[in-house]
Amino acid sequence: MVDETRKNEVLEKLRNGVIQYDEDACREGAQEAVDLGMDANEAIFEGLVAGMEEVGRLFEAQEYFVPEILMCADALYAGLDILKPHCKQMDLGVKGSVVIGTVEGDVHDIGKNLVKMMFDVAGFTVYDLGRDVPLDKFVEEQLKTDSDLVCLSAMMTTSMVGMPTVIEKIKEKNPECLIMIGGAPTSKELADKWGADGYAQDASNALKEAIKMVAFLRKLREEKLKK
Amino acid sequence: MTSRERVINLFKGELIDRVPCFSGMGNVTEEGIKKLGYRFADIHLDAKMMADTAATTYKLFGFESGVVPVDLCVEAEALGCVINVYPHAEGILYPTIKEKLVHNEDEMDVKIPADLANKGRVPLLREAIKLLKADIGSDAAIGSYVLGPFTLAGQVMELNDLLKLSFKKADKVAKLLDVMADAIIIVAKEYEKAGVDFITVREMGATTDVLSPRVFKSLIQPPLQKIMKELTAYSVLHICGKTNDIVTFMVEAGPTAISVEQKNDVPETRKKLGADALIFGNYDPYNVLVSGDEELVRTTMRKCIDDGVSAVWPGCDIWPTVPPRNMMAMIDEVKKHGGKR
Repeated sequence: MVDETRKNEVLEKLRNGVIQYDEDACREGAQEAVDLGMDANEAIFEGLVAGMEEVGRLFEAQEYFVPEILMCADALYAGLDILKPHCKQMDLGVKGSVVIGTVEGDVHDIGKNLVKMMFDVAGFTVYDLGRDVPLDKFVEEQLKTDSDLVCLSAMMTTSMVGMPTVIEKIKEKNPECLIMIGGAPTSKELADKWGADGYAQDASNALKEAIKMVAFLRKLREEKLKK
Repeated sequence: MTSRERVINLFKGELIDRVPCFSGMGNVTEEGIKKLGYRFADIHLDAKMMADTAATTYKLFGFESGVVPVDLCVEAEALGCVINVYPHAEGILYPTIKEKLVHNEDEMDVKIPADLANKGRVPLLREAIKLLKADIGSDAAIGSYVLGPFTLAGQVMELNDLLKLSFKKADKVAKLLDVMADAIIIVAKEYEKAGVDFITVREMGATTDVLSPRVFKSLIQPPLQKIMKELTAYSVLHICGKTNDIVTFMVEAGPTAISVEQKNDVPETRKKLGADALIFGNYDPYNVLVSGDEELVRTTMRKCIDDGVSAVWPGCDIWPTVPPRNMMAMIDEVKKHGGKR
């Protein structure tokens, strides 16, 4: 049995490590969690993700901006890399896979990477196509991997307009696949018009949306543990 | 009063008959490209094609300026980055940077090539400006644009790294931005020599959606000031996103006018900056001009004018697939409504 006090100390270290963008603290905390024999999922969700949720709040309060978020993300990954190999597969009924990328003509990938991070955390299998991805590549990859979700990102109006073509092609071949679009020029109206299932306007919104999703998983997990 | 006189008088702070309808950012249309029989991918690499295309927005719709270049990669390319113009693309894809100049923190000590004014497409741009000016320059205002130092730095190195370093190692970033400012000045001077009436400095990357107003003031404003001080043509400073918290800093940078997009609350900006400040903006060039109907275009133009913009001007590049009837409606509405203030 893991000592409760010690366990809480480790969780606190992970949480604060993310908030204070301290990669070393996250690495140390993660290693301590492993050495203590703590549940890796718990360390991820109650430590790292709890920290990222706070980061989301700080961002909303305009105390943090994108540079801070990127550093927090680095800290989260530093811990996640150590914890992940020790994760038992979570049985939450939401296991999934996602194809993600920035569309051709666009080389911005910050928002995309933040969303990807939350999928990584949630234990999704992530097929990251990177940036400046030819439109057909999304369709091919979805068919090849049969992923549940495709996320398309664009930072500029000038590259966003390729999105409806991809959505149409994927939906035509696989109507079950969910599609999320994101990036500064996108909107709920465009998502609806183009037949996308979800949308996040910018890196912060994407982060908020992704945090919401993962926070939901965390709640599910808690409820399951109670039973 | 010609379009050029209207725009120049506006910059000078002299009397105009109505609010002008123009832009200092990209505004070529598919309609114009089609009429000329060109391909979008080709117009970035040929001075005549670039100038011809840029002139069509004035010729076809009465838009009151002609602007080159069309893409955002001129300065980065001249500095040594490799660009991709997507030569085989069927549709419209804007050139992007394929290979960066700085790959890690240790390479941030960028040196400006000795002959930057003749590198990359800078000579092509000089030629395009001259052609464009000879074509429509007596009637329409001729503009060009350069990137702001932070936005250019985000092309020269990984934006991800730049953002983090602007927090962790602000001194190093400040130094890089100062070099970027010098490079931008060299390029802008060439455009001035070629005869542009005004230059827009597009500092899109330094929006408060990304950086705090405090970082904007300490890190971005000084190199912008340096650039504005050197420009002799009229200058416009454009920043995307939510700009209400930094409009004062934008004015302090010293441009002749500031340009804001649809997320800016213009009545509030007007109140803050006073009656004489030149504020250009702020319609959504995609959701209004491209995907909106004529009625939305007209109401939006009236709103911009009533909100107090000094010129009706888009929040970003006009996307080329804009329906011609919406372009017509925009200009018609500004003509009708723009003198009533």
